[in-house]
Amino acid sequence: MEGIWGAGVAQLAPTQVGGPMLLFAVLAAVAVASGVGVVAFNSPVRSALCLIANFLSLALLYFTLGAEMLGIIQVVVYTGAIMVLFLFVLMLLNLAAPGALRESRDLRRLGAGALAAALFVLVVVQAVLPLQEAASPQAADYYGTPMALGRALFTEYVWPFELASVLLLVGIVGSILLAKRRV
Amino acid sequence: MGEVRSLMAPLWMYLALGAFLFATGVVGVVSRRNPIVIFMCIELMLNSVNLTFLSLARFAPWLPVAHELEPKAWMGGPAAVIFVMAVAAAEVAVGLGIIMAIFRLRDEVDVDEMNLLRG
Amino acid sequence: MDPFALIWWIVLLPLGGALVQALFGGAVVRGLGPQNGKKVMGFLAVLPVALSFLLGVAVLQAHLEAGAGTERTVVLAPWIDLAALKVDFAARVDSLSLLMVLVVTGVGALIHLYATGYMAEDRDYTRFFTYMNLFVVCMLVLVTADNLPLLFVGWEGVGLCSYLLIGFWYRDLANAKAANKAFIVNRIGDWGFMLGMFLILVCIAASVPEAQTDGRWLDFGFILPRAATYLADRPEVATAIALLLFVGACGKSAQFPLYFWLPDAMAGPTPVSALIHAATMVTAGVYLVSRMHIFYVLSPVASAVVAAAGAFTALFAALVAFGQTDIKKVLAYSTVSQLGFMFIACGAGVYWAGMFHVATHAFFKALLFLGSGAVIYAMAHNQDLRNYGNLRKYLPITCWTMFLGYLAIAGVPPLAGFYSKEAILGGALASRHAAASVAVWAGWIGLVTAALTAAYMTRLTVLTFFSGEERWRRLQPAHAHDGHHGHGTEMAVHPEDHSHSAHAPHGHEDPHGFFYTDEELAARAEPEEHHHELDASHEPKEAPPSMTFPLVVLALLSVVGGWGLQHWAGLQEFLQYPGVQLLPKGTIQEHPHGVPLMALSIGAAALGILYGWIVYRRGLPAKEGFDESAWHPFRRWAGRQFGYDDLVVHTGVQGGDLVAKSLWKGFDAGVIDGIANGLGVLACGLGRGLKAIQTGFVRSYALLMLAGAVALLAYMVAVLTRIGGGN
Repeated sequence: MEGIWGAGVAQLAPTQVGGPMLLFAVLAAVAVASGVGVVAFNSPVRSALCLIANFLSLALLYFTLGAEMLGIIQVVVYTGAIMVLFLFVLMLLNLAAPGALRESRDLRRLGAGALAAALFVLVVVQAVLPLQEAASPQAADYYGTPMALGRALFTEYVWPFELASVLLLVGIVGSILLAKRRV
Repeated sequence: MGEVRSLMAPLWMYLALGAFLFATGVVGVVSRRNPIVIFMCIELMLNSVNLTFLSLARFAPWLPVAHELEPKAWMGGPAAVIFVMAVAAAEVAVGLGIIMAIFRLRDEVDVDEMNLLRG
Repeated sequence: MDPFALIWWIVLLPLGGALVQALFGGAVVRGLGPQNGKKVMGFLAVLPVALSFLLGVAVLQAHLEAGAGTERTVVLAPWIDLAALKVDFAARVDSLSLLMVLVVTGVGALIHLYATGYMAEDRDYTRFFTYMNLFVVCMLVLVTADNLPLLFVGWEGVGLCSYLLIGFWYRDLANAKAANKAFIVNRIGDWGFMLGMFLILVCIAASVPEAQTDGRWLDFGFILPRAATYLADRPEVATAIALLLFVGACGKSAQFPLYFWLPDAMAGPTPVSALIHAATMVTAGVYLVSRMHIFYVLSPVASAVVAAAGAFTALFAALVAFGQTDIKKVLAYSTVSQLGFMFIACGAGVYWAGMFHVATHAFFKALLFLGSGAVIYAMAHNQDLRNYGNLRKYLPITCWTMFLGYLAIAGVPPLAGFYSKEAILGGALASRHAAASVAVWAGWIGLVTAALTAAYMTRLTVLTFFSGEERWRRLQPAHAHDGHHGHGTEMAVHPEDHSHSAHAPHGHEDPHGFFYTDEELAARAEPEEHHHELDASHEPKEAPPSMTFPLVVLALLSVVGGWGLQHWAGLQEFLQYPGVQLLPKGTIQEHPHGVPLMALSIGAAALGILYGWIVYRRGLPAKEGFDESAWHPFRRWAGRQFGYDDLVVHTGVQGGDLVAKSLWKGFDAGVIDGIANGLGVLACGLGRGLKAIQTGFVRSYALLMLAGAVALLAYMVAVLTRIGGGN
C-alpha cells in the first residue's frame, strides 16, 4: 500500500512543528471548538454563529489543501447563503430566547455519545491510522482551479451535475410550495 | 501555488479532523430537540465529509482512466464536494420551509412532539 | 350340452331372480295389491334357488358318472389378462364345491320358502328377496370359484349382503349399528385374506420358472398341486399364508377374537339368521380352510393355531350361551361354538369331517333358527325365553321339529349331529398332524363342549316347550316386568327391538349418541306393523304352512342326513379319493385311551341332556328370572360375553375414537393449524414487537440509524482485518 500512496518521505514530518503545522493546528482548533459549540449551546442563535465560524475555518483549510475554488464556494454558498437562511428562520421563529426548549438529559444522549465515539474510533483505526505515512500529495497542483473543476464536471461527472441541477429545481419548487399559505 | 502546497499537513490529520467533526455532528443530531439545530448539525456532518473528500482527492494516487484527462487527479473528490453543497442547499431550503409550516400549525418546534408517524 | 356348463347357470339364476325382484317387485306389488303381489314375488324369489338346486343335482349326477375324483373348470369369460397375472371367471366342478353348492341351494331354497311366510307382513318384501337372492349368488360364486380372486369377490359379496340383510330394518339405529359391526369386523378378516393371497402370489410366483406357467398363479388348479413343491423348503412361508388365510376365516366364520359381530347380527330377520349366520356364510371360512388345505398340511404350526382357536371358541361360546335369555342369541352362540368344532377338525387334518359337519350343521341349525322364528312369530315377536313355556301344547309342529333338531345338535345317535361330531372328535383325538399335539387337546375340549352343547340346548328346548308353566301368563297387561323395550312403550314393539334385550341395560345401547339422542330416535321411528304385544291373554298360534313345511323337511334331513351322507352317499370317499388329494385323509381314533369313541360321545351328550332336564324341567328357576341381580355371578358374566365385547368396543371403538380425536385436536388442529395460524400470529407478534421501534421520535430514529451505521462499519472493519486488507 505504501507504494501507491507514495513513499513516506514527507517534506515535513508530522512531529515537526513548522508553519503549515501551526496553521493547521489553529484552524483545526477553531473548527473543533466551533463544532462542539454548535452541539453544546442551548441557544440556537449561538449554535448558528458557531457553525459560521466552523465553515470559515473549513474554507481556510480547503485553501491549504489547494482547492481554492471550493474554498470560495464554501464561503459564498455555505456561510453566505445557507447560514443566512438559518439565521433568518431563527429570527422569524423567535426562538432566540434560551430556555425556550429545555433539553432534557436522557439516555439517548449517552447512547449517542458512545456510538459517536465508537464511530470515531472505527474510522480512525480503519482509515486514518493506516494512512499515516501518506504525506506527499499526488494530485496535480492545479486540481482545485475552476478550469479543472469545470472540465471534470462537464465531462466525467456530467450526469450527476445535471441531476443536481434538477434537484435544485425541485428544491426551489418545493420551498415555494411550502411557503404558500393555505387560505 | 507552490507556496500553497507547502501549507499542507499530512493526510491523516485532515481525516482525523473530519472524523471528529462528523462524530460531533452525529451527537448533535441525536440529542438536540430543536429541529433547526438538528439541521445545523447535519450541515456540520456534511462539511466534515467535504473535507474528507477533498483531502483524499489531494493525496490519493491518480489512476489512469481510458481517456487521458487534465488534470491528473482524482476529480471525484471536488466533484463530490460540489454535489454535496448543492444537495445541502436544496435540503436546507426545503427543510426550513417544512419547519416553518409546522411552526405555523403548532406554534412550537420540538422534534419530540412531532411523532404523528408513531406506529 | 355339456352338463358341467350348467354350473354357471346354477350360479347366475339367482342373480336373475335378484334383478327381477329389484326391477319389477315394486311395480308388481303395487299393481296386484299387497296380498297377491307378494305371493307372486315370493314365488319368483324361491324359484331360482330351487332351480339351482335341481341343476346342482344334475351336475352331481354327471360328476359321479364321470368319476368322483375328477375335477374340471368351466370358464365363463376372461377377467384379468396381464402378462404377470391371468385370472378368469372360472367355476370349478369337484366334490367339495358340489357339496357346498347343494347345501347352499337346498337349504337356501327351503329358507326362501319359509321367508315368504315370515316376511309376509313386511312392507319391504321385495327388497328382502332381492338381497336374499343376491346373497345366494355371492355364496355360489364363493364356493364355485376356481381361483382366489373370484373367491374373494364372492367373499366380499356375502359380506355385503350380510350387512344389507342384518340392517334390513334400518330405521332402527341399533340394527344399522349391528350391520356396521358385522361388516367392519368382517373387513378385518378380509385384510388377512388379502394379505394371504398376496403372499401366495409373491412367494410362489417368485420361485416358479417363467416357462412353467402362463401367469395363473392364483388358480386352484395351480396352487393345489404345486404349492407343496415350491414351499417344501420354506415352511415359514406356508405358515404365514395359512395363518393369514385363517384370519380371514376367523372374520367370516366368527371365531375368537373376531366372533363378536355374530350375536349382534341377530338383529336381522330370522330367515337371515338362518341362512347367513347359521347355514352358509359363516361356513365360508371352513370352506376356505378346506380348499386351501395344502398350506395347513405343510404347516403343523398353523394347524395347531387353527385347532386351538376352534377349541377355545367352541368352549367360550358354549359357556356364554348359558347366560343368554334371548332365544336367537342362544342359537347364535351355538353357531359360533359349532363353527369352532369345524375348525378343530380342520386343525386336526380331518378336513372331510369339518365339511361333513358343515352339511349337518346347516340342516339342524337352519331348522333350529327357523323353528325359533316360528316361536317368535307365535309369541307376538317376543324373543325372551323367560316368557315361554309349555309351547308344545300350542305349536306342535314347531315343537317336534325343533325337538329333532335339538337332538341332532346334542349329538344323539342316529341323528345327523352325532355322526359328524364323532368324526371330528375321533379325528382330533387321533391326530398327529398339528404341532405339539394341540389337536388332541382340542379334541378333549371338544368333548367337554359337546356336553355343554347338549346342556344349553336342553335348557332352551325345555324352557320353551316342555316346562309346565306358561310363563307369559304372568305378564301384566301393562308390561310391568318386560322392561326391555327399545324406545318407549306406547309405540308398537318391533321384532328387532328385542335383539338387544340380553345385550345391554335398556336405553343405553348408544352411550355416545352417534347421531340421535334417545328422544329423537323415539320421535323418528315409525311404527311399521302394529303387532299386538305379548300379554297374559295371548294365545300362540302355529305358523302357516309356508313356514312349517321347510321345518319338516329340515327335520327329516337332520334325522337321516348324517347316516345318509356317511354311509349311503359315502361322503368320506366322496371328499377324499385316491390319486388326487382333494382333502387329505385323516385317521379316526376308534378307541382313545381304550374307551370306545362312541361311548365317549354318547356319554357326553347324555350328561348334558340329563343336567338340563334336571335343572329346568320344573320351569324357570328362581335364580334365572327377570331380575338379573339375582343371577349367579358366573351366569351374569357369561351373559355379557365375559366382558369381551365391552373390551373390544372400549378399546377398539372408543380407543379409535380417542386416537382420532387426539389426532384431530392435537395434531391436525394443534400442530398443522397451529403452524398455519402460528405463522399469522408470528407475523402479528413480530409486527407488534417492531412497532416498539416506531416511536415517532425523530431522534430515536436518528440514533438507530447511527447505531446501524456503526455496526456496519465495525463489521466491515472486522472482515477487512480478517482478510488482511487492514491498510
